Amino acid sequence: MIEIQNLHKQFGSLEVIKGIDLSIQRGEVVCIIGPSGSGKSTVLRCINKLEEPSSGTVIVDGFDIMDPKTDINYIRTEVGMVFQQFNLFPHLPVLDNVTLGPIKVRGMKRAEAVRIGREQLAKVGLAEKEANYPDHLSGGQKQRVAIARALALQPKAMLFDEPTSALDPELVGEVLLVMKKLADEGMTMVVVTHEMNFAQKVANRVIFIDQGVIQEENAPAAFFQNPENPRLRDFLGKVEAHI
Amino acid sequence: MAFEFQTQVVIETFPMLMRGLKYTVYITAGGLAIGFVLGAVFGLLKLSKTAVLRNLAVVYVECIRGTPMLVQAMFLYYGVPMALGIRISPLTAGIIIIAVNSGAYIAEIVRGAVQSVDSGQVEAGRSIGLTSTQTMRYIIWPQALKRMIPPLGNQFIISLKDTSLLMVIGVGELLRTGQEIVAVNFRAFEVYLAVALVYLAMTMSIAKILRIVENRMNISAAK
Repeated sequence: MIEIQNLHKQFGSLEVIKGIDLSIQRGEVVCIIGPSGSGKSTVLRCINKLEEPSSGTVIVDGFDIMDPKTDINYIRTEVGMVFQQFNLFPHLPVLDNVTLGPIKVRGMKRAEAVRIGREQLAKVGLAEKEANYPDHLSGGQKQRVAIARALALQPKAMLFDEPTSALDPELVGEVLLVMKKLADEGMTMVVVTHEMNFAQKVANRVIFIDQGVIQEENAPAAFFQNPENPRLRDFLGKVEAHI
Repeated sequence: MAFEFQTQVVIETFPMLMRGLKYTVYITAGGLAIGFVLGAVFGLLKLSKTAVLRNLAVVYVECIRGTPMLVQAMFLYYGVPMALGIRISPLTAGIIIIAVNSGAYIAEIVRGAVQSVDSGQVEAGRSIGLTSTQTMRYIIWPQALKRMIPPLGNQFIISLKDTSLLMVIGVGELLRTGQEIVAVNFRAFEVYLAVALVYLAMTMSIAKILRIVENRMNISAAK
């Protein structure tokens, strides 16, 4: 589904990604963890070309995103994205947030888009909020709307960029629950997260990125119980330590 | 002889001023309508990725902002026709001046408002597959427009008052009309007071209308 080869990304003279290879199969849930500034979000953003890779290959659903002939806007409808800061459209009611993509990008009839939009809102448990504006929702509700907005395009994969990092602790659960449901339905997911529990329970594979390279990659059980890489051991130690 | 304020003159002057007011309103409305289009275009050009377009907008804004409107008016009305061998009516010249002048300031307002919209909005728009033009149209512009209203109101008021400068090119607007009345009745105090009151009524109306528009937009965004 997603094939990344020898990915490099530089911001000015700063090399953030230093050669990453990653292959994600259809239906797989991959969690990426790592310290801040490690480049994990950048990898994610290179998949739908919100960041332009400096070099390397990224193939999504058979399309090379670096190929000028590839319609990147089409790729983006096939790969939904959820942001840390939600980025809902504040000037539109919830339902319009969700139907904008289907109508303007997919060229769907309004009635059809509304039907799909309502379906997705119901799925994230927010059917009754469709007429509200984003400012009147809690953080957890906003993020669920953001998930519905991405799902309304009926993507083949979903990218999550620290989806719960901006939430109050008591609101994290409702978002993770929606994500788990999605994973159970077989959605291909790449999740950059600090939620170790989620990674442990939901992921098929966990990846540790530090200093711009993949330091360790394993099934969650082995990843968390017997981390081989000393950096990962150190990182997991620090995550636990503040309890 | 002591000065004696004649209320009657003020009252009598108002109807005569309406003739001038018509031109003032005409020039302000026409000038600002075109000025807004110019401002939107050049404001967005200022944010263009293409250096040539960006520089074009910079030159426009700097030239207009850096020279007095009075000079621009005299240059356009007396200077340009001489060079091109054409004749422009004072009214047309007036509308062009207000349009070009307000356009430069509105370009800055537009640029600032568009830039103030969080970059996450662009990313969210692009992430659902919208093109950059669609993202501007459906996501960024509506949010920017709301933020433009207070500074735009300010500019509308400035432009309305600036139309009074157009008397130097012979536009029969409000101030010019007042001057003509004074030339006949010599009651400068009363007449110019009346003129000032008409301007004040106009600017206060603009401010009021914009407050209503602003409130309505806030309400619609916070149901």
